[in-house]
Amino acid sequence: MSDTAIHIAQMQKFYGSFHVLKDINLDVARGEKIVICGPSGSGKSTLIRCINRLEEHQSGTIEVMGTALDDNVHHIDEIRREAGMVFQNFNLFPHMSVLDNCTLAPMLVRKTPRAEAEETAMRYLERVKIPDQARKYPGQLSGGQQQRVAIARALCMNPEIMLFDEPTSALDPEMIAEVLDVMVGLAQEGMTMVCVTHEMGFARQVADRVIFMADGQILEQAPPAEFFGAPRNERTRAFLGQVLGH
Amino acid sequence: MQELVPHTTAIRPSPFSSLRARYFSTPLNGAVTLVCATVALWLLWSAFDWAVLHAVFGTGQREACLAAEGACWSVVSSRWRIVLFGLYPFEEQWRSGLACLVMGAVIALSCAPWFWNARRLPLLWVTGFATFYLLMRGGFFGLPVVTEQNWGGLSLTLFIFAAVCILGMPLAICFALLRRSKLPWIARTMALVIDTIRSLPLLSIMFTFAIVLPFVLPGWLTGDKLYRVIVGYALFFACYQAEIIRGGIQALPAGQEEAAMALGLGYWHRVGYIVLPQAFKNALPPTINQVVITFKETSLVTIIGFFDVMASGRAASGTAEWNFAVIEIYVFVALIFFVFVFSLSRYGAYLERRLDVGRR
Ligand SMILES: Nc1ncnc2c1ncn2[C@@H]1O[C@H](COP(=O)(O)OP(=O)(O)OP(=O)(O)O)[C@@H](O)[C@H]1O
Ligand SMILES: [Mg+2]
Repeated sequence: MSDTAIHIAQMQKFYGSFHVLKDINLDVARGEKIVICGPSGSGKSTLIRCINRLEEHQSGTIEVMGTALDDNVHHIDEIRREAGMVFQNFNLFPHMSVLDNCTLAPMLVRKTPRAEAEETAMRYLERVKIPDQARKYPGQLSGGQQQRVAIARALCMNPEIMLFDEPTSALDPEMIAEVLDVMVGLAQEGMTMVCVTHEMGFARQVADRVIFMADGQILEQAPPAEFFGAPRNERTRAFLGQVLGH
Repeated sequence: MQELVPHTTAIRPSPFSSLRARYFSTPLNGAVTLVCATVALWLLWSAFDWAVLHAVFGTGQREACLAAEGACWSVVSSRWRIVLFGLYPFEEQWRSGLACLVMGAVIALSCAPWFWNARRLPLLWVTGFATFYLLMRGGFFGLPVVTEQNWGGLSLTLFIFAAVCILGMPLAICFALLRRSKLPWIARTMALVIDTIRSLPLLSIMFTFAIVLPFVLPGWLTGDKLYRVIVGYALFFACYQAEIIRGGIQALPAGQEEAAMALGLGYWHRVGYIVLPQAFKNALPPTINQVVITFKETSLVTIIGFFDVMASGRAASGTAEWNFAVIEIYVFVALIFFVFVFSLSRYGAYLERRLDVGRR
């Protein structure tokens, strides 16, 4: 298998006549950690949601783990199995217990027997440090706990890639750290990660590359030291000035 | 919010003073209250007087009834079998009674949350319905066959009601899903069908299916009139229920389906495990309401010539012997409906409170 986890070339995306993503070219190697940042409305969510076809792109190519993302539903299914996703609003299934949230997809999609799926789920719940909440319902947990369940739920599918869309921006400040901890742990274990976030501390600590987007374009990408130390683009500097509070 | 309603709630008024404030605040108010109270008491007393004090109880008291001023409950105790079982053969009426009990149990059990999942509830209804049908129809273990033409009374009402629900509910789910289809022409066609059927009176749909359809359809497709009416009614039910389910689906945050998609769940898994369970939970109160209405409106089939509980009631008092006791029979029929409908709607109200409390 090749070293490329995600390959995006000349990708264009429109909402009606509105050109959201303009000529996106991006390669993510296996095990690489990418942080995407940029002002609101720049298309970060749209880009990450195109990777697993929550949004459809209009032209250009996207390949995930060697599978081309086209209209073939089997390819889409294949890619969704390989790429786990964590949302800003957690999106846990409120009518199911935490454990059922975690076992549902492995049992239905991968046909894992229940006992095995539960064992895996408990392992990941332990890893995100909430095994004692397994029988509770999402509504009974704090935001930070819910987001950690959401991470465990995605991990239960054994994905090669994890996509995060602002996983901490709906959280109270005191809960951000517990979620970031889990994400740092995941990064250290070598997971391929694409992460939209404004947590610049996290970016410094784990990212291999930081990408800056504005107006649907990738304006700058560089390793964190260079990105934060010597940003080349004018808009990057302005943006960093804002988020870092200079 | 809390700051907006300061101390008024803190000082609880005594029951007496709130009574005074509400009903006797001005002299005019007091007078209106007194007049209304008198009229209400008088009505209650006359009803009681008619229904109990001057009423005639006991079987076969026709002569006493004619002489009495009060209600003639004798007609009910003499003719209740017709109201409940219609023209069902006398010797076999225990079967009809048992079948009604089975259906009543199915309705009662459906109220228990333990049954609320995609496997148990359909299983309960289909088993209950099959038991009902076999008991009513017979033709095994030496039970003589009684064909649908001879069914009547409450058992026919329950049969139509259950058949409409069993047929209509899956249809409603299909309609709701089709209406949400990504293909615009499917969604639009479905919307047109639903809106058309919803804008027709139920009675005209029943008439069409019972009387007009046999002229249009080929012979092998027409089937029995009873089943045509049931199909028509189920279609009508499905259109209303589909809109209720669709409302429940639309109340879901878009993130729910997206999360399921991102996990790799296919369409049917998403519908079955994520969308419908939550949609039904959202739509529970209006669904119960719809079921209650459906039960009540089964009485429309009388007009097409079926002896449901309503028509049987009229038949029960339709003989020369009892034709003066129409009101009593209607009161009895009304009571039967009341028991079903009132308990179901109270249950609906209870559920609504319970779900509200459960919501975060
Ligand atoms: N369904 C949609 N239809 C039309 N326009 C949309 C839709 N979703 C997003 N957009 C537009 O596309 C642009 C990019 O949106 P996107 O959500 O990707 O931004 P973002 O970078 O994630 O912003 P934020 O930081 O606020 O999350 C925005 O201008 C937005 O208004
Ligand atoms: Mg976004």
